[in-house]
Amino acid sequence: MRLPFAWAVFVKEWRDLLSNRLLLGAVALPALIFAAIPTGLVAFIQANDLDPNQLDQIQQYIAAFPGVAAKTAAQAFIIQNFMAYFLLIPAMVPMAIATQSVIGEKVARSLEPQLATPLEVPELLAGKTLAAALPAMIATWLVFVAYGLVNGAIADPRLTRFVFTDVWITAMATLIPLICVFSVLLGIVVSSRVNDPRTAQQIGGFVVIPIIAVAVAQFFGGQPTFTMEQVITGDLLVAGLIGVTMVIGSWAFDRESILTRMA
Amino acid sequence: MGGAVRGRLGSHPVITVDGLRKDFGRLTAVHDLSFEVGDGEIFGLLGPNGAGKTTTIRMLAGLIAPTDGSATVNGHSLGEGSQRIRAMTGVLTESPGLHEKLTARQNLAFYGRLYGLTGATLREAVDRYLGVVGMLEHGDRRVGGFSKGMRQKIAIARALLHEPEVIYLDEPTSGLDPSAAKTVRDFVATLRELGRSIVVCTHNLDEAERLCDRIGIMRGTLLRVDTPAGLRRHGRNATVRIDLNGARPPESFIETVAGLAYVHGAQPRGRALVVELTDPARETPDLVAALVGAGARITSVREEADTLEEVYLELVGEAGVRDDRDLPGEEAA
Repeated sequence: MRLPFAWAVFVKEWRDLLSNRLLLGAVALPALIFAAIPTGLVAFIQANDLDPNQLDQIQQYIAAFPGVAAKTAAQAFIIQNFMAYFLLIPAMVPMAIATQSVIGEKVARSLEPQLATPLEVPELLAGKTLAAALPAMIATWLVFVAYGLVNGAIADPRLTRFVFTDVWITAMATLIPLICVFSVLLGIVVSSRVNDPRTAQQIGGFVVIPIIAVAVAQFFGGQPTFTMEQVITGDLLVAGLIGVTMVIGSWAFDRESILTRMA
Repeated sequence: MGGAVRGRLGSHPVITVDGLRKDFGRLTAVHDLSFEVGDGEIFGLLGPNGAGKTTTIRMLAGLIAPTDGSATVNGHSLGEGSQRIRAMTGVLTESPGLHEKLTARQNLAFYGRLYGLTGATLREAVDRYLGVVGMLEHGDRRVGGFSKGMRQKIAIARALLHEPEVIYLDEPTSGLDPSAAKTVRDFVATLRELGRSIVVCTHNLDEAERLCDRIGIMRGTLLRVDTPAGLRRHGRNATVRIDLNGARPPESFIETVAGLAYVHGAQPRGRALVVELTDPARETPDLVAALVGAGARITSVREEADTLEEVYLELVGEAGVRDDRDLPGEEAA
């Protein structure tokens, strides 16, 4: 792998992305929505007193936060429970960028001139992967920081502590980048076989299902958020999936297949 | 493969192709392909859609691997030398394939980096070739707003940026207006003067005849390779028609003409004499002098030959009825 070649692809992709306002919007919007919903709920609870009857109904949730007032515990549960949805950003956004990138180039027939240079396919994929993964990673990290600070500011400052936990800092540092890379690779593999971005995204969309399932299971199980063991298990699982996808990708995205399966 | 198909080569071979074959599943795109391209030569691959021209270029550019056979480009073999081949060749793909959101300069700089150019060398190469194709003033405009001709010029600049020794041009004037097409043809001729070896892939007979030193007519394999003039003669002796003023019948000069060593045959046609020669450009002046010496009054002399179109249609027709089909990745036109 020659880094200057992969870097050249990355810079080109990045320039392409920055000039595509629609795609940039698709990066920022989901992150903001996932952060805005729980923040709105926290603000609503802050502005209203809880009914004692309601407190009984959410007892199982607020029990996870001993030592803080019931209202703060309810807010803490909401902000922690919604954090699982942060995993959707790296699952969805890089795939949208990757499919757009590969299929866009197939339609524009701009892959062939690149493959006619000394550029090797792994260098092309490395540049594309980094360029598609980085926006989602940056967006997720920025929203994570803003989420902790804003909720601490509008309600109890201790809420910030419930966002910036060891578990979530670990998840941001490991699980988020891994999901980004997996999402990009999956997008590239699917894109190498189809010529329509929407079809590629629909096929690749199944990756969000397990994440939503985990978030829903947490809510109904009364578990506010992940444990460290679950994050590490998730890391290992996604790393394994990346390995499998890379093997499939090297077969699906070879020079000849790309050229002879053009749109 | 016989010499008639392989054609004669006027200089040191830069590209040597020997028995190349490419299958896509059960479909054979190219088979038994053998030819050579010399140093500083423009070699044309002429054939209908689906004849395997683009597949041939892709194999020779190291983009796809042949199923069988071998080829060398500047001494590097396809396969283990493909990356080196890609580094020393420039490819104008059938479609310009530029990055629409980037400026012309950014497009060229990107490809320059992929060919290993950096820093001042890269900047100078980009500016130089933007100037060569007459696009310097448009260098900072996004390619998305360019006309087809402007895009083709940028694609040509891209193919030359790294000073390649071998250049493949796939349908270089396809879709261009006559003025832009002439600019491209003139530019390709300039490249020949700079000593570059060029393979032009086209189904435009006029373009092939104007540009190429030799032409290979192709339909799955090479049907014939020769100079444009040689192809028009179609393997026969050249025929020269000499119109006389009718003072004496043409039959009266048959004996004079038949006595010349380079004449292969002569016959009267109306008031004209039709003579078969080997090399009309060299032999015609002597023939005319001999006839004038024998008392002939000549009104005109011209070489008779088939048009390239007639030869092409005859050869492609002879190749047998093969359904026109688009090979994988080849553009239907």
